[in-house]
Amino acid sequence: MKKIDRKDFLKIGGGAVVGGLAGYTLSGAPFLGFQWLVEWSQDQYVPAPGIEKYVQAVSDSCTNGCKVSVRMIGNRAVKIESKDGVCPACLNGLQLLYHPERISTPMKISGKKGSGNYQPVSWDQALKDISSKMNALVNEGKANTIAAVNKNESLNGQLMEKFVRNAGSNNVYYEPSLNSITSNALGGYVKYDFAKTDFILSFGAKLVEGWGNAVEMQKQFLNWKKNNVKIVQADSVCTRTGGIANEFVGINPGTEAVLAFGMANYLITAKRMTSSGDDFAKWSQLIINKYPLGKVAKLTGVAEDKIKKLADDFAAAKNPVAVAGKGAHGVSGSSAEIIAVYCLNTLVKSGAATLVKNSAVSYTAEFAGLDKFIKEGSFSMMFLNGSDPVYKSVYGEELKKKLEKAFVVAIAPLMNDSAVYADYILPPLSFLEAETPESKPAVKALKESKDAKEIIISLAAMVDKTKNALPKTSADAYKSAGRETAGGKFSFNFEKIKADIEAYEKKLGQNAEYPVTLVPYEAPLVGDGDGLAFPYVLKSIDPSVLNLGKFYVMMNKETGKKHGFSEGSSIKISSARGKLGKAYVHLSDVVAPETVAIPLGFGHESYTKYGNEKGLNPKKIMTADVDPLTGAADWWSTRVKIS
Amino acid sequence: MIVKDSAMKRKWGMAIDLDKCTGCGACSIACNQENNMPIFEDDSDVPKRVAFLELMKVTNDRDAKFPDVKTAFLPKMCQQCEGNAVGKHKADPPCVSVCPAVATDVGDDGVVSQIWSRCIGCRYCQTACPYEARVFNWWKPEYEGSFKNSLSTDVSVASRGTIVKCTFCSHIWKRERDKATANGILDINAVLYTPACASACPTGAIIFGDLNDPESEVSKLAKSDRAVRLVNTVDDETPEKQKALMSKKQYANPKVYYLTSQKWLRDMMRFKKNS
Repeated sequence: MKKIDRKDFLKIGGGAVVGGLAGYTLSGAPFLGFQWLVEWSQDQYVPAPGIEKYVQAVSDSCTNGCKVSVRMIGNRAVKIESKDGVCPACLNGLQLLYHPERISTPMKISGKKGSGNYQPVSWDQALKDISSKMNALVNEGKANTIAAVNKNESLNGQLMEKFVRNAGSNNVYYEPSLNSITSNALGGYVKYDFAKTDFILSFGAKLVEGWGNAVEMQKQFLNWKKNNVKIVQADSVCTRTGGIANEFVGINPGTEAVLAFGMANYLITAKRMTSSGDDFAKWSQLIINKYPLGKVAKLTGVAEDKIKKLADDFAAAKNPVAVAGKGAHGVSGSSAEIIAVYCLNTLVKSGAATLVKNSAVSYTAEFAGLDKFIKEGSFSMMFLNGSDPVYKSVYGEELKKKLEKAFVVAIAPLMNDSAVYADYILPPLSFLEAETPESKPAVKALKESKDAKEIIISLAAMVDKTKNALPKTSADAYKSAGRETAGGKFSFNFEKIKADIEAYEKKLGQNAEYPVTLVPYEAPLVGDGDGLAFPYVLKSIDPSVLNLGKFYVMMNKETGKKHGFSEGSSIKISSARGKLGKAYVHLSDVVAPETVAIPLGFGHESYTKYGNEKGLNPKKIMTADVDPLTGAADWWSTRVKIS
Repeated sequence: MIVKDSAMKRKWGMAIDLDKCTGCGACSIACNQENNMPIFEDDSDVPKRVAFLELMKVTNDRDAKFPDVKTAFLPKMCQQCEGNAVGKHKADPPCVSVCPAVATDVGDDGVVSQIWSRCIGCRYCQTACPYEARVFNWWKPEYEGSFKNSLSTDVSVASRGTIVKCTFCSHIWKRERDKATANGILDINAVLYTPACASACPTGAIIFGDLNDPESEVSKLAKSDRAVRLVNTVDDETPEKQKALMSKKQYANPKVYYLTSQKWLRDMMRFKKNS
C-alpha cells in the first residue's frame, strides 16, 4: 500500500472540504439558511392554518339582534360578514372577542378602588360573596339601596331589571338612550314608520349615522332615496345627515326646541290645528304667549318666513313625521323639546309615529332617571351591567365618589372607567361565544367567561328573595323576553315642563361670561365612546378629529377670526362646571357661528390602552341640568368661554 | 381536461356611490380585518397609519358658509390605475413603472398587485402614486397577544420596511377561483368575486365588477352622468387639451369610479372652486 505522504493528505483533505462545500451548496441548505436569517431578522408572524368554514351567529347583547356569518379558519374566527348590515358594536365583535385586554376570569379588587389592581377569583367565591352581601342587605331591610345600571334593553338587561326589582329595589336604570328618554318624556318610546312617510323633519337627529336602530335606519335611507322622501335636517352642525338631507336648516346651537315651539305656534294659531294630548290647551297658550314667531326667529337664527314655509311644507305633506333625539349614539334632549317635536306629529295627525312600550322594561324607578339618581340618590350596592356611567354621565365625577363607598359588581368584558371602581368584575361572553335559540356558539368561550344572562340567573338563584323569580336557564329567559305593547296616552305634562319651556329664553340669551356654545358631534365608529377600545376604529378616525395625538374641535371660521383662533391653534374651553384640557382648533363652516363642536367618545381614563388618554371627554364640563321627566341631564349644548 | 382559453378577460373595477354612503365605516373595519392590518396603540398619526382604505370626511366649507354647507364621506383606496399606453410603452400605472424589484405589477385582470415579500422598501411607488394609496410599514406589524387569533391565512403578514396597499382583495378572487376549480369549473372567467369593503357596505354604495363586461352593473355605473374619477388635471381642461393630456404616459386612468349627484362634491374631487 502506498504510503500517504503529506501532499496526498492535503489533497484528500482539500477534496473532502471542496466536496462537502459543493454538496452543502447543492443541497439547498444555504438557501434555507438565508431564509431562516430573513425570517429571524424580520420575524413575520404566520397565522395558524386550518380548515375554512362559515358559521352563523346571532347577537342578543345588542338591541338590533344582528345576524352575522363568521368565517372560521380552524377554530379561529377571522371575519364577520353580513348581507343585512351590522350595528357598530357587532361590527367590532371580532376585536372584542380577541381583545388582548379582555377580562377572562372573575376578578376581585386587590388595591384601592380606581387603581385597576385586581386578582382572579373563582366563580364560586365571587358569586357567594356577592349573593351573601345582597342577602344581608335584603335581611336588614335595606334592599332599596341595591341599584343597577343597564347598558341597554337587551335580554340580559331585562333579566337584571327583574333580578333587582324582585330583590326589593326600585333602583333599576338604563343608560340614557333614545328609547329610555323618549319613554319617560312621552309615556312610551316612539315607533316611527319611516317606510310610510313622505316628509321627515328632523330636529338634529343624526338619522343615518347610528341614531335609533342603525341597521334599520340604513335600510330606510335607501327607501327614502328610492321614494323621493323629503328630508329636512335642522341642526347647528352639518353632519352626514345634514349632507344627505334635501334641505339643511342651520339653527343656532341648542335651539331645536325653540324651533319646534315656533312651528307649533304657527300651526296652532294660523292653521287652527290641535293636538289630542292632555294639557294641550295650557301648553299651547304658553307657547303662543312666550314664543311668537319673531322671537323664535331671533333665537334660532331662522327667518320668520322660513319657519312658516317649513311648517306649511310639513303640514301639507301626505304623511309627515317630526323626529327628535339628537345624537347617533350619545343621546340628550330635554323633555320640553321631545314633547314639542312630538306635538308637531299630533298636530298634523302623522300616521308614522306611535307610542309603544316594551313589556319587560319599565323606565320608572325610584328617581326619574340615571343622572338624577347619581346626583341625588344613594346606594350601598351597585350592579353595572355592561354600562359605563362614570364615562358617559355628566355626573361621572360624583358617581366615582359614590362607587368608592359602595359594593360594586361590574359585568364587563373590558375594563372601563366605571368597572375600575368595582369590587368584583364578572366577565361576560362576546356574542360570538354565546348560544341563542337560533344559533350555536361560533367559537369556544374564552377561559372562564360566562354568558351575562347565566351570570344574572345564577346570582338570582343564590339570593333568597329572588330564588324563584327568574327563569331557570338562559334558554327559558328567551321565552320571557319583552314584547312590544301599546304605549300610554300622550300628555304634555304641562306642570312639570312649564319651567323648562320658560327657561329656554334665558338659556339662549346673551351671556357675557360664557359667550360661545359647545355642542358635541360624533365621529364614525367612535360614537359616544364604546368604539375607542378597538384598534381598527382608531385607524378610521379622520385627521380633523385626532391627528398626531392632537385632539381637534371644530369652530366656525368667522367666529375663529373674531376670537383670535386660526387653524391648528390651541384652545382651552371652560364652562361654569369646569375646565377642559388643551385641544386644537379646526376651522370649519359646517358649524354654526359662535359655536364650538367637540367630538364625543374620547378622553377615557381606563378603557384599555387603545382607548385611554386620547382626546378629551367633554361631558366633564357639559351642563348638568337634570330634566324633570327623563331624569337625564340635558347636556347637549353648553355655554362656554374659550381662550 | 384542456381549457381552450384560460386568459383572463376581466377588468375588475369599482363604482362607489357617494350619494348612498352614510359614512358608517363598515367598509373600513371589513378591510382592516380582511387584510390583517397591523395594530398599533396609537393610529392617530395618519401619514404613518397602515390601512388600505381611508374614510375621508369631505365638506364644502372652503367655498360655502354655514348653513349652505354639506358633509360627505369618501372611502378612498388604491384606484387600481390602468395607466396609458404610449408608443412602445406598455400601459403601466404610475407606481408599476418605477418599481425596481417587480414587487408591483398590473395583472391581466387589471388589478395592480403588490407582493409584500418582494418589496425592498425604496418607496418610489409611494412617491409616484397620485392618490396616497400606498402605505409604508415604518415598524414591524404588531398583533398584540390574542389579536393574532383573528388573522386570516389568505393575506401574508407584511414585514417591516415594505410597502403595502389595497389589491381589490385579490386573495378573495383566488379563493373563489380555487373553490370553482374544486367544483370542476376551470374557466377562470366564470368566477366572480366581491372585495371585503363592497360586501360589507350596508347600503350597497360600493359596487364591484367587470368593466369589460358591458352588462355588469359597474360598467353601467361607470358610464353614468354621475360618475367622476379622481383625475382632476384632465377633466378640467378643454376637449383638445384633454385629449392631449390623456394620451400622455403619466395619465393614471384609474378604475375606481365615484358617483355623485352633488355638484360641490364633484368640484371638490377636481380641486375646482365650488360654484
